[in-house]
This record gives sequence, C-alpha cells and structure tokens, in this order.
Amino acid sequence: MRFPLFCVAFLAVLALSCRPVAAPTPTPTPPPAPPVAAPVATPTPTPVLMAPPPGAPAPTPTPTPTPAVRPRYGGTFRIAAPEPPSLDIHAQISFLTQAHGSFVYNGLLRFPYPHEQQFPADYTVFPDLAERWEFSPDGRTLTLSLRKGVRWHPRPPVHGRAVGAEDVKASLERFAARSGFRVRAEPIEAIEVVDASTLRLRLKGPHAPLLHNLADPSFMYIIPKEMAALRDVNAVETTIGTGPFILDSYTRGVQLVYKKNPAFYIEGSPYLDQVVWEVVPDSATRLALLRAGRVDTIGYRGFIPEEDARHLAKVRPDIPQTKYVRVEMGHIYMRTDKPPFNDVRVRRAISLAINRQAWLNTLHEGEGCVDNGPVPCALRAWKLDSTKEDPARVKYLVGYDPAEARRLLAEAGYPHGLTVTMNYATVVYGALWDARYQLAQQDLERVGIKVNLGPQEYGLYISTTYLGRYEEMAIGPVTPFGEVDDWLYGFYYPGQPGNRSLVNDPHLTPLLVAQRQALDPAERRRIVLEIQRYLLDKAYYIYLPIGSTFSVHLPRVRNFVQHDAYSTGKMIQWTWVE
Amino acid sequence: MRQYILRRCLYMVPTLFVVTVVVFLMLRFLPGDVVHQMLEGYAYAPTVEALRRELGLDKPLLVQYGTWLADIFRGDLGHSLWTKQPLLQEFARRFPVTLELAILTLLVSVVLGVGIGVLSAVRQDSWADYSGRVFAILMLAIPPFWLAVLVVVLPSIYLQWTPVWTYVPFTQDPLENLKIMSIPALVFGLTRAGPIMRIMRSAMLEVMRQDYIRTAWSKGLAEQVIITRHALKNALIPVVSIIGIQMPFLIGGSVIIESIFRLPGVGQFFFEALIRRDYPTVQGINLILATFVVLLNLVVDISYAYLDPRIRYR
Repeated sequence: MRFPLFCVAFLAVLALSCRPVAAPTPTPTPPPAPPVAAPVATPTPTPVLMAPPPGAPAPTPTPTPTPAVRPRYGGTFRIAAPEPPSLDIHAQISFLTQAHGSFVYNGLLRFPYPHEQQFPADYTVFPDLAERWEFSPDGRTLTLSLRKGVRWHPRPPVHGRAVGAEDVKASLERFAARSGFRVRAEPIEAIEVVDASTLRLRLKGPHAPLLHNLADPSFMYIIPKEMAALRDVNAVETTIGTGPFILDSYTRGVQLVYKKNPAFYIEGSPYLDQVVWEVVPDSATRLALLRAGRVDTIGYRGFIPEEDARHLAKVRPDIPQTKYVRVEMGHIYMRTDKPPFNDVRVRRAISLAINRQAWLNTLHEGEGCVDNGPVPCALRAWKLDSTKEDPARVKYLVGYDPAEARRLLAEAGYPHGLTVTMNYATVVYGALWDARYQLAQQDLERVGIKVNLGPQEYGLYISTTYLGRYEEMAIGPVTPFGEVDDWLYGFYYPGQPGNRSLVNDPHLTPLLVAQRQALDPAERRRIVLEIQRYLLDKAYYIYLPIGSTFSVHLPRVRNFVQHDAYSTGKMIQWTWVE
Repeated sequence: MRQYILRRCLYMVPTLFVVTVVVFLMLRFLPGDVVHQMLEGYAYAPTVEALRRELGLDKPLLVQYGTWLADIFRGDLGHSLWTKQPLLQEFARRFPVTLELAILTLLVSVVLGVGIGVLSAVRQDSWADYSGRVFAILMLAIPPFWLAVLVVVLPSIYLQWTPVWTYVPFTQDPLENLKIMSIPALVFGLTRAGPIMRIMRSAMLEVMRQDYIRTAWSKGLAEQVIITRHALKNALIPVVSIIGIQMPFLIGGSVIIESIFRLPGVGQFFFEALIRRDYPTVQGINLILATFVVLLNLVVDISYAYLDPRIRYR
C-alpha cells in the first residue's frame, strides 16, 4: 500500500514543481467597451499639407506636425510579431525587415503622418530628409535639397554627425546594387552631389513613379556612408539611422528593443520612451499574448485574420479594432499566351463564372469590395469607377452569369467544358484563402470547367507559379504596394515578373509606358483610367473580391492610426499609451 | 569496452559523411529556391543572377558541396544566407535552450512514464491501472503542438493570462528561466510520457512474474524493496532504449514547441531556416544534431552494460 502512495505523492510533487514560479498577472477589469470594430481614438486631423504632384516643385518645409489631442509622453509599447529575417534594409525585401527599418531610418521623402493623412491609402508625398525637390523641365533631372541639421543616431563611427549628400548618394547606390527592389532605382542613371546638402539625380527618362518610390518606406532608406560601405548592416552597432527610434538591443529569437531618439528632427516626437518588438513566430500565441494584455498589438501593424477579428469583437469587445479596405489583391491568373486561355471568350467565361457577391457574403459577411482590379479599390485616386462604364463590358470584370459563361465556352469550342489545373500555395495564406480555392473550384465547375487543384509548398509556389512559370492556371494573393504603376505596368508589361498571366497586348503596352512617363498628374490619371477602361472586358486576370482588414490593439493605446505601407515605426512614432 | 567505443566512434565518420551528402542533396532538390524567396515577386533575371552569384549558388553543386565540406574541416559551418551570421555562433547561443527543454522534457516524461507504468503494473487491473492506461493512450494520441496551443490559448481566453514569457537565459536568472521552461517542458513531457509508460508497464509485468521476484516475495521482503531494488532495475532496459530514441524526437519536436512558447532554441532556428531555404544553416544544424544523436546512441548502448551486467561489449 505504501508504494502507490509513494507514486502518487511523487507525481503530486512533480506537478507542483511544474507550476509557474510566479502567480499569473491579475487581469484588470476591462474598461467599458467601445462599439465593436470602431476605429481607434484618432485626433482631429490638422489640415493636411498636400505635397505637390509628381513633376511639380515641392512646397516649403513641413512644419512640425502635432496631433490635436494632447499626447502622453513616456511608456513602453510592445509588439508581438515574427522576427525580421535580417536587419539589412537594403539587402532584404521582407516586409518585416522594412517594418523594422521604419523605426530607425528615414527616406528622402515620406507618406503622410497620421494627422496628415486623409485615408489609410493616402500616398501624398511629403518632405522627409529632403525638404525640397524639383524636376527639370524635361523631367530628366531631379534636384533634392536636404533638410539642414538632421543628425545620425549618436553611435560610432558617425557619433551623431549631420546627414550629408554623400550619405544619400552612398545609400541610393547601395540600394541600386543590393536590393531585391533595385528595379525601383533603375530609372536613375547617375547620382551627383552638388554640395553638402544638394543632390541631383539624372534619370534615363521621365519617370512618374519615382517620387512615390523615394517616399515608400519599403525602398530607399538613407544610411550613413560608412555603413553603406559595409557588406552587411545587420547588427545593433551598424544599425544607424536618423529615425524616431534607436535600436538599443537585439536578442535573436527573443526581442528587439528600440529607445526614443531624443535628437529626432521633429521636435516632440516620438511620444514613447521605448518600443519592444517581441519575437513571436506563432500566430495563436500572438493573439493569446494580446488577450492576456502582455503586448499592445500583434503583427507588424496590428493585423489579425478576419475570422479572428470577428470572433474577438464578440468575446472581447473591449479590445479596439480598426477596420478598413486596404491595398491588396487576390486574383486568378492563367497562361494567356497559349490555348485555351489565349481565347478571350474562355477568359470571359471564367470571369462570369465567379460569383463575387456570394464570395463577399460567405467570406467577409458582405463587407468589402467586389471590383478590386486591375487597380485595387483602396487606391481611390487612380481607380476607375466601373459603375459609370458600359455595363456590357463591365460584366466581364465583375459580373456573374453562368449561363453566358457556358455559352461562351461552347462558342470557343468547349461545349462539354474543359479540365484545368489550378496551382495555389498551401497553408501560408491562411484559412480564408483555403476557402477561396474551394469556392473558385466550385464556381468554375458549375459552368463546366473541371478544376484540379494543384497545391504547392510556398517555396515552390513563389519561385515558379508566382513568377509565371506554370502550365495552366493559378490563384493567390499579391504583395501589395501603393504605386499604381505596380498594378498596371507590373501586371501587364511583357517580361515583368508580376505579369503572371504573360500578357502581351500591343495596344496596351504603349499605354503602360506612357503612364509612367507622364509627369503631369492629370495626364497620368487620364492614361491610367484609359488603361482600366481598355481592360474592362479583356479578363487577362480574374480579380477576386476582398474583405476588410482588421487591426487590433489594447485599449490603453492611443493614436495607433493605420497607414497602408510597411511603416510600423512611422505609425508608432505618433502613438502613445495611457 | 574501450575497443568497442573506439570502433563505434570510427563508424561515426561514414555515418556523418552520408548525412552530409543526403542533407545537401535533399535540400538542393527540394522544390523552391532561396533566391526567389528572397526576391518574392521581384525576380527580374539580372537581379536573380546577381543574387545567386553573391550567395555562391551559381557554382556547380559539386563545388558547393566541396566548399562546404572543406569549411567544416576548418571549423567553419558556414554563414546564414539571410542574416550573414556565422552559424556556429548562433547555434551555440541557441543550443542550450533546446538542450534544457529536451532535458526537462525527458525528466517529466521519464518520471511520469516510469512512475505511472510501475504503478499500473504493480496494481494490474485496478482503477489505478485503468487510469494509467487511459492516460498513456491519451498522451500517445494527442499531438504536442495541439496540446501546446491549448495550453497557450485557453487561459488567455478564460483567464486573460498566458503561460508565455520573454525568454531569460538560465545563467542570467535561474528561477525566471525555470518558470519559463517548466510549462513547455510539462506539455512536451506529457505527450512523450505515453510510450514510456506503456513499455514500462509491460516490462514490469514481465519481470514481476520472474522466479527471482517470487523468491523475493517468499523471503518476506517489503513491496517497496522488491519493486525498486529487484524489479525496476531489470525492467528498465527496454525503457532506456526508448529514452534513447526519444532524444531525436525531442529535438525534432522542439521545432513546434519553441515556436508556440517563443523559446529561442535550435528548433525555431531550424524551422525558419528550412522554410527560407537557408541552405548552410539547415545543413549545419543537421550535421551537428546528427553528431549529437549518434553520440547519444553510443551513450545509451554503453549504459546497457551498467543496467545489465550480463551484457558484454567486444
């Protein structure tokens, strides 16, 4: 009898020894719940300082922007997000690396700060390290004047010296030589240093997207010339910028700690003393940490999957959510260079087979956008209003008519339908995308197109199918960016890696080139709309409806305003905690 | 014995050589390419070529393999293609985390598995036996990642608390470290305890029917003495084999457990490297772990001789 007692006692001791040493943190009573899915408390925006359109001289320097609500200084903000694969913002294009860069670095230009932006996808260009810029009349030279008195972080070997034109030249050259995004710098033929604070970019020709690309936080961050000379800028000591935060420590696999930059060139910013990026690879763990109040937000910008957000809104209405339609896209693409998809009737049949409104109802509770291509809904400035176009053509972009689809297939020589393989990436894009694959298969089968789903591991998908190396058809999302050129030239110009449908349309190609050469915004917009109008019934890609994006944070967080770019640091720069 | 150990060490050389070849080739033939992963949708031909050249992936496979092998002999396991950090340095920093998790997990699984297994055998067909067997089947059936997610997620939903901390090394704060490691080790250990319990129970039942145990009973020895001194030691031999086999499972299983409990160990490192096709990192970790497992098997084999003096090595 003694032995069983001994065993039980031993197991009890073991169980006790395995309890956490400290008691769990008591959870405070949540404050009264705001309306579900309400946006965060956003200060009343001050008048937005509109940057000049591409091709025109810049305005006078931006005054220090301040939110209308009095911010609270100090405190630590915690983010739970996956680890950036590298800290080298020029050598690595991962959005996590770029999000890290947004804490530490500045570009020559920038997008609006929270109190300046009109909506999340507002890509108005503002001065950053460059306070003025001017195109030459022929559009082949861009002269940039640097802001005076901006200093590097106080770290050797630069020790807080002022930023100079040589630094900018070295940074842009490093970007052009090392970055996976180097195509952004291709229009630049030569970089000339005029004087310590003036730089001249000689261009191969007029290039309208250049200003946007100089402002996009994913691309041309400026680093000291001493660092630009290094092969790798991937350690705390070599991470030297001019940004609102200084990288204080980095323990791989654990956390990155950013301290406030007291010498940041915008007086009074940032409000927080410290930001801690907790490395949490698992998404369920990230959400658990948020629910437990251990972190202020999750993911690199607070994003959580739509299904999680809707559930969270029900069970934890005290956790504020921001909901908006962001720049993103899902599409079906196909080999338009060979049968059967070189026949416009087959492509139109596929488009007419997709019941977009039903998708929106099923997957997104009816909220979102149906007409999301070729320019995403969120890019309001460039989007063609298809409701004002000829319905007979618009139906091939967003319509649903299975009977007409079957008729078109028969007319194209497939009266008994056809069988195709549709590739997709497994697991990586989440449950909603798994549902989309099934819905696409079902919709197409209803019109007689039997779809064999071709699952591919992400590594395989991204290096073959996503680059247009596949046999018949594929489905998946697109890495989103804010420059309209990406969605048009990138998708339709022959030879572009993003031209996944292998489009080669002699009428379209000159228009694609013309829009990127048009420095006059009105003229460029006219061409962009003309391109969209032309594409209405071509069905080179089948654009899928998208739902809302949800961002979450703890109730104590204030002014966490979403901007639709990979710029976490620039958002948090204006965030405070109560 | 010395000769046996020496011979086993010599066998390690061809074994590890085969490991290097297999891992190198499997990685290269795995669909998906590191260069395209790095460039995602921006894989313009000149960019791809330049990056391939920069990473040394433009050379023939044989040259790449030879360079890697030569570097190993020089004590350089290579650098990560993504972070450019020396692998050995990163591995050395992370291995103690995984080793600690593995040891604690082993401790939990052995204590639970052996304890319940013995109790179950000694009280055969009693409620304790049935409960122990149900426990073993449950633990065999539950995948560790599922249990881990439940342990992390459920308290966060119902108690607004979660057993996940920011990792602190043992050398920095032993108590805090044990607090962080205890729950992952318990979760992982529970799922590994099932097989140990089943083997322990059947071995113990077999031993308990042996003549020498009957003799011990007839001599009037106390139950505790018979079980611990006579039966347990003899029943442990198959259990030791199982424990030896557990180690690679523990290292492998740590991939998921470390990700869920955000422990900066080798498992998490390996998983991310594999997803990103970071060839030198995956190759290097595999080689180190293969060496570790081969050595561990040797230790297990040697321990048989200690547990059963009838076993002799030539």
